[in-house]
Amino acid sequence: MKSTLTDLSRRAFVERFVKTFLGVSLLLGPGRLRAAGASPRARAKSVIFLYLRGGLSHIDTFDPKPGRPEMGGVRAIGTSADGVQVSEWFPRMARQMHHVSLVRSMTSTQGIHELGAYTAHTSHFLTPTIRHPALSSWVVKLLGSENRLLPANVLINGSPQHPGSGYFPAHLAPLPIVDPGAGLQNAALPRTVSEEDFARRTALARAIGSHFVQQTPHRDAAAYLKVQQEAAALMRSEDLKVFDISREDERTRAAYGPHTFGKGCLLARRLVEAGVRFIEVEDDQNWDTHNDQLPAMRIMTPSADQTMAALLEDLHQRGLLASTLVVMATEFGRTPQISTVTAGRGHHPGVFTWWAAGGGVKGGYVHGQSDAIGEHVAADPVTMPDFNATVALALGMDVAHLEHSPSGRPFTVADQGRPVTALFA
Amino acid sequence: MFLVVLGLAMGRAAAAPPRFEADVLPVLYRHCFSCHSEKQAKPKAGLRLDSAAAIDEAGVIVPGKPDASELLKRVSLPLTDADVMPPLKGGAQPLSDAERALVREWITAGADLGGWIKFEHRQPPLEAAGAPLARAAVPDLAREVDAFVDRHHARHGTRPNAPVSDEVFLRRVHLDVVGRIPSLDESTRFLTSTAEDKRARLIDALLGSEGHVSHTYNWKADQLRINPRALAGGQPAWLYDDWVKEAIRSGLPHDETVRRLITASGYLWDNGAAGFYLRDLGMPLDHASNLSRVFLGTRMECAQCHDNPLEPVTQKDFYQMAAFTAGVSNLNSPSGYSNDHVRQWPDLKALLARMDADKALQDGVSRTISPLKRLTRDTAKPLTFPATYVHDPAERGRPVSPRTLFGDEAPIVDGDRRRAFAEWMTSPRNPRFARNAANRLWKRVLGAGLIEPVDSLTALPPPEHRELLDFLTATLIRLRFDERAFLAVVLNTRLYQSAAVRERPEPGTSFALQGPLLRRLSAEQIWDSHLVLLVPDLDERKPLLRHEGSNLNPARLRQLSTLSAEAIIDRARDEMAYRARRREHTLRLADQQHELTAARARGDAAEVSRLQAAHERENETFFSPELQALEMGGAQPAPETDARWKFLPRGLVRASEIPLPLPLGHFLRQFGQSDRREIDAYNRDPNPTHALALMNGDLVARILAPDSLLRRQLAATGGDRDRMLALIYRAVLVRAPTAAELATLASATASSPTPAEDTIWALLNSPEFLFQP
Repeated sequence: MKSTLTDLSRRAFVERFVKTFLGVSLLLGPGRLRAAGASPRARAKSVIFLYLRGGLSHIDTFDPKPGRPEMGGVRAIGTSADGVQVSEWFPRMARQMHHVSLVRSMTSTQGIHELGAYTAHTSHFLTPTIRHPALSSWVVKLLGSENRLLPANVLINGSPQHPGSGYFPAHLAPLPIVDPGAGLQNAALPRTVSEEDFARRTALARAIGSHFVQQTPHRDAAAYLKVQQEAAALMRSEDLKVFDISREDERTRAAYGPHTFGKGCLLARRLVEAGVRFIEVEDDQNWDTHNDQLPAMRIMTPSADQTMAALLEDLHQRGLLASTLVVMATEFGRTPQISTVTAGRGHHPGVFTWWAAGGGVKGGYVHGQSDAIGEHVAADPVTMPDFNATVALALGMDVAHLEHSPSGRPFTVADQGRPVTALFA
Repeated sequence: MFLVVLGLAMGRAAAAPPRFEADVLPVLYRHCFSCHSEKQAKPKAGLRLDSAAAIDEAGVIVPGKPDASELLKRVSLPLTDADVMPPLKGGAQPLSDAERALVREWITAGADLGGWIKFEHRQPPLEAAGAPLARAAVPDLAREVDAFVDRHHARHGTRPNAPVSDEVFLRRVHLDVVGRIPSLDESTRFLTSTAEDKRARLIDALLGSEGHVSHTYNWKADQLRINPRALAGGQPAWLYDDWVKEAIRSGLPHDETVRRLITASGYLWDNGAAGFYLRDLGMPLDHASNLSRVFLGTRMECAQCHDNPLEPVTQKDFYQMAAFTAGVSNLNSPSGYSNDHVRQWPDLKALLARMDADKALQDGVSRTISPLKRLTRDTAKPLTFPATYVHDPAERGRPVSPRTLFGDEAPIVDGDRRRAFAEWMTSPRNPRFARNAANRLWKRVLGAGLIEPVDSLTALPPPEHRELLDFLTATLIRLRFDERAFLAVVLNTRLYQSAAVRERPEPGTSFALQGPLLRRLSAEQIWDSHLVLLVPDLDERKPLLRHEGSNLNPARLRQLSTLSAEAIIDRARDEMAYRARRREHTLRLADQQHELTAARARGDAAEVSRLQAAHERENETFFSPELQALEMGGAQPAPETDARWKFLPRGLVRASEIPLPLPLGHFLRQFGQSDRREIDAYNRDPNPTHALALMNGDLVARILAPDSLLRRQLAATGGDRDRMLALIYRAVLVRAPTAAELATLASATASSPTPAEDTIWALLNSPEFLFQP
């Protein structure tokens, strides 16, 4: 990156300024794994967590059962990975499978969207007595960020029910980008407002707001004053242009696709390049296909296939894949039997598929199996906490490191999850 | 000092040991009965703990000897031990330290069951609530609630918070009842009124207003997950929204509302309540879970796949409850249309065959009649235990007999399962229906329910606030489920009109009855409150959509089910022709756009104007009267003609009038409005994008603009700087500035060219604006 001496020193000044408000530190946190023998696994610097919401059918996607009537006539196709087939609806991902480790033996007991999604994100069961932090908040708490001018944790097109930072401090929650095409909205001063106006007004707001906050011990009141400072810091960040996907050339944008998930993944790649630690992108098409499974998949899969394949290819071409762990997750799978009434598939947490690529995981690899029709786990069950522990390990985190909730209860990043070390090269 | 200490020590030694039913039974209920009670087909390890005889027989509790008691040993093992009880796999909650200590103390003191025989899993029905009450009873009822509160404080040695000023009350009651801050006029009128009962009158006026409909709709929409995109496709989904709004507006009592939803049948355009079933098309079991949660405060969804690990509700219980509504059908058969949905189908089929219709026409006809496939009706089809049923594998494949989980049985008459279910659910004898509603309504205006979470009602009601909630439940029933009257009771209490509790309570702590809880406004309240400063008569402004030109026009759809087979084919042909024409139009427009861009790039001005003219002609032709007459296309926004709003953007309407899904990046989405894919899926956590939206966003910029409603109101009053500041404070924060604030403002804006804008901006960006006082 070219820069003059003055640019560098100005940048350093802004970094120090921003660091105070974005609350992240470049220092390696106490949670970093130091064990020499394990260090080859700690290759990932960033995570892109792709969440396909609604419960993605596994036999219609990455765990096809060729020849079985449950497939409803959908065929399996060969891929760039020896001996690995995927559904015919994923021809582009088929050409990327040499980067991917499929975990076909995911299993869960939570067959409800809200509950399954909560466990997928936090590794815990939803209970009314505590709000657990999502994996992304753990990651940024223990590892900080490579780029102090940008938020370390970003959620693109996410569900409002995302668990966020739970009992961790609010600044560890992901920054939500609700429209990736618009980037970081409202980050620029309106044209009619000068810097002076802005300075005067923010000072006044802070003075008036502080008085209210002093009288109001509610956690969120103080947090709202703080996010103002964080927002002001974001506005001044020189790296804001990272959020603007229109800076990408036409060809790249077309490769990812013009739909929201496509734009979201393109934004995620830009953020990774800029050193952002954890980005979740949600594909909010309705994968909850209770009705008309095959027509619904026919409509939805092309964009998902295109985007996920484009992301892997792009990361690979730019030499980022080795240091970026890409994960595809969903709350559960779907029943192998297609309903004769609705022509759809129901919820099926018994067995389903997640995958990981990059960040030091094996390519072209399949871990675990489901049975002949995709109903039960046949070998090597992996729970959501296990998979999340694997993500933590890939980043070099200590999965046994304890953090305490405000009431003093001890927690680890992935509860009782045991990392699937077989995924690592 | 010494004596006091001694006294305390003696007091502790003389304290009674835990009582079984009040203290120990709830622990067993929450942690043991899911596997060790009569509810299971085979209790785990053959051990039952839900009766005195069973406990005696089991021998896991040795009176006086805690360390010899197997039960205590197992629940005291470390959580990593494979033998710990309850087993954590599948989500069971371990006992807390306090619970373990309690059990230990009870066993040590002799494990006295105090005459308890067995636990009644089936919660009994409610006894009669009492004679019906009219709205006039509200003041007395409010006083009775306050009496409960006073008794609570006397027992606990606590105090309620101080009463609030008129200003605080004014802002609070507007936000709670009409979902927005008061307008400047509304504030001034109230604050200058000298009527003795002005607060009670304001409460009544607000409850009867259109603003209350808007605010209540948001609440119900979150619970019912009203989401047009998620409703079955090809249907005029807004008719469900409208039905719910009209039910609220007309004051339809809660029990009648629920009965109509549960028994809804027909086409959506004939009965908007059919949306209740269309929302969960193809997911009857999830539908049953959702309605149980929303109407009975009971979460049953865990039990869909296995016995609930957190309380003794079994998979069998789930299926028996779900069986009442499982006969509802709103799907066409996958093999084609049936006579039930499309009366004309046999004629149509025959006619198409005689005409030797090509595939295009067949598809066209299919598409034309497709809205008719979503006919909601009840059938006799039974629910059967699935092949994956784990509670009792012997039952797999057998039909499920519907049975209620608690209260009365609901015998089915004339095979009408839904009617029996609806009557049982909304009966004053149902132990959870009114209780759930009362608890949720209480939470609505006080910030937390007397039972939290609001969907955790069980067979074992928690002891805290039990009498008060019993009273509120009976009150709702006696007010004939009039939700507005019930709210009037709560709003008129001294409790509601006390200063807010300003700390955020820890999850799991019980309501302290000192005052309403301070909480962040919902996304809708924040949006609507900004709009008060921009839109006159905000509650009256509704977006105008012309549905006449739409293929989802209800009148057109109603006509569809009466057309003859020939007429249907004609209509199909017209629609096909329209679609073809529309495709051409879109392509032509795209080409023109392409050429226009190229011409502009070349700087060819003549060509640019030629193309622009062609573009206009193309649009004119397409939207010509003859094509309009085909009555196709989506709903068109109508131009705004009301003088009050003519120069305001179309999108500045209350949140309740903006259908989901929201445009990406919308303010409401930024501030965490529920996407209504799940129940109550909203988010109120702070994040920097909120501050960015308030600092630099469009809404605040509009309010600051010199021609905004607020600025015009300020200009109209004239007067000096102090008067202007006082008005700004009243308009935005509904209070007067303090002396300190006036001083701060004076110095901060001394040399500012825009002191009014600065002040308005600072107040809108203060956290105070975002919180319910």
